[in-house]
Amino acid sequence: MIYSSELIKGTLKTIVLKLLEDNSRMYGYEITQRVKELTFDKIQITEGALYPTLHVLEEDGLVTTELEYNGKRARKYYSLSPEGKSKTKERVDELADFMNTMKFLLDIKTQTT
Amino acid sequence: MYCINEQQIDYILNDISARGVEMESLQLNLLDHICCIIEQELEENGDFERFYRTIIPRFYKDKLSEIEEETHLLLTNKNYYVMKKVMISSGTFSAAALTIGIILKYMHAPGASIMIVLGIGIASLVFLPLLVTLKVKEKQKSKDKLLIVLGSISAIMMSLAILFKIQHWPGANVMGVLSPAILALVFLPIYFFGGIRNPETKVNTIVSSVLIIMGCGLFFSLTMTPAGMKIEGIRVTSSYLRNEDILKNEERQVAKLAKTDSINAVAVTASKNVLKTCEDLKAELLEYATGVKALSSDFESRNEIIGTANVQDFLSIRESGPGKLKAVNEAVFYFNSLHNIKPIPVTWTILDQSNNQYNNKVYMALNDVIQIQMLALQNQRALYESGGQKELVMQ
Repeated sequence: MIYSSELIKGTLKTIVLKLLEDNSRMYGYEITQRVKELTFDKIQITEGALYPTLHVLEEDGLVTTELEYNGKRARKYYSLSPEGKSKTKERVDELADFMNTMKFLLDIKTQTT
Repeated sequence: MYCINEQQIDYILNDISARGVEMESLQLNLLDHICCIIEQELEENGDFERFYRTIIPRFYKDKLSEIEEETHLLLTNKNYYVMKKVMISSGTFSAAALTIGIILKYMHAPGASIMIVLGIGIASLVFLPLLVTLKVKEKQKSKDKLLIVLGSISAIMMSLAILFKIQHWPGANVMGVLSPAILALVFLPIYFFGGIRNPETKVNTIVSSVLIIMGCGLFFSLTMTPAGMKIEGIRVTSSYLRNEDILKNEERQVAKLAKTDSINAVAVTASKNVLKTCEDLKAELLEYATGVKALSSDFESRNEIIGTANVQDFLSIRESGPGKLKAVNEAVFYFNSLHNIKPIPVTWTILDQSNNQYNNKVYMALNDVIQIQMLALQNQRALYESGGQKELVMQ
């Protein structure tokens, strides 16, 4: 099962922040690949959603960027800013709490596969 | 693993920007991402262009520029909430400040002016511009956007015009005329002819247009026309000239008496000094208001009319103004300190700083000065008539 893009949209920021917390610095393609890997292809982040989100995180000051040039190609590495680090914990906690509430709300008892 | 050469990088970059991605950082993101995919997924001797064309649709639903649009949308939406918050708090604050300011004004309590300035200032420079920006975003058609911008420019100008008017800042009249002019001559035609064609909005359009014309009409009915201002100026100037005539007659009468007696030296000198310093101040005021130091009876044809100039501006613009006023003040103060004279009352005249008389008009100041001169002359006459005996003893 591949999750719908609406479900992913609300959690994308949290996913990106958490990945950056675990991997210190990453570039866009790496993020999409890592998510695919970790979720056994169940979550596939589209480029159309990832890059706008990264721009917003940068604008908000939660991530910092470094450009590394290789000829005409440039790779933009993203890493968490100090503010981003505290925000990550906040958002992960919020999502965990949200999932518990959802479990209760939707009366999900056992995990079905 | 496929190896991408420089030409192919240029090819990708050109294609990305041709597809409408203009933000440089987004171009770099996409370029690197596409290169990674090609390097990972294309075999060493694969067909670059064909593979590129098959992977590029992965990035979008309809077209590649969606990514850029989404980025802009997310970035502006973030500001949207901040702007909304600031708009609501600035609006609430300015409404409260203005209300408190008006209450203080009617109670004649201190702080009224600052509250009114803050209220109108924040409403017109923070609240209204934010409101426009947010409203413009909500509208789809560019004509609707234009109408909102025009209407609010007119509203901002009007409230600033009133603020400038009560604060005696320059430019109030220009804004006060431009604001309804924009509303009636630019906004109204676009609004009217846009709305009248649509049967749904026809009635509303007519009603609102009538209200706008009524509003502008009422405003212009209240304001003085240039011709009206000129008549008012002529009235004021001829009144000044009559006063000046009376003063000159009185001076001649007193001068005749002076020949018969010359023993009231101190008080007479003091009175003459009051007259002299007053003349200097009047010349200064006149030159500021009309351009000449003295007026003649044909002032109207020479266009030397005392208009609506005010004393505060006179004191700040004319360098020698404050000095001349101070000289009169000192002369009158000294005169009033003498014995056997009838002191010249200065409360509510130009010399009275405690009641903020500097807000007065120049023609009123000229009147004050002439009255002071008349009182000094009458004192002089009384001194001459009484022979000045007592005064000699007292001094």
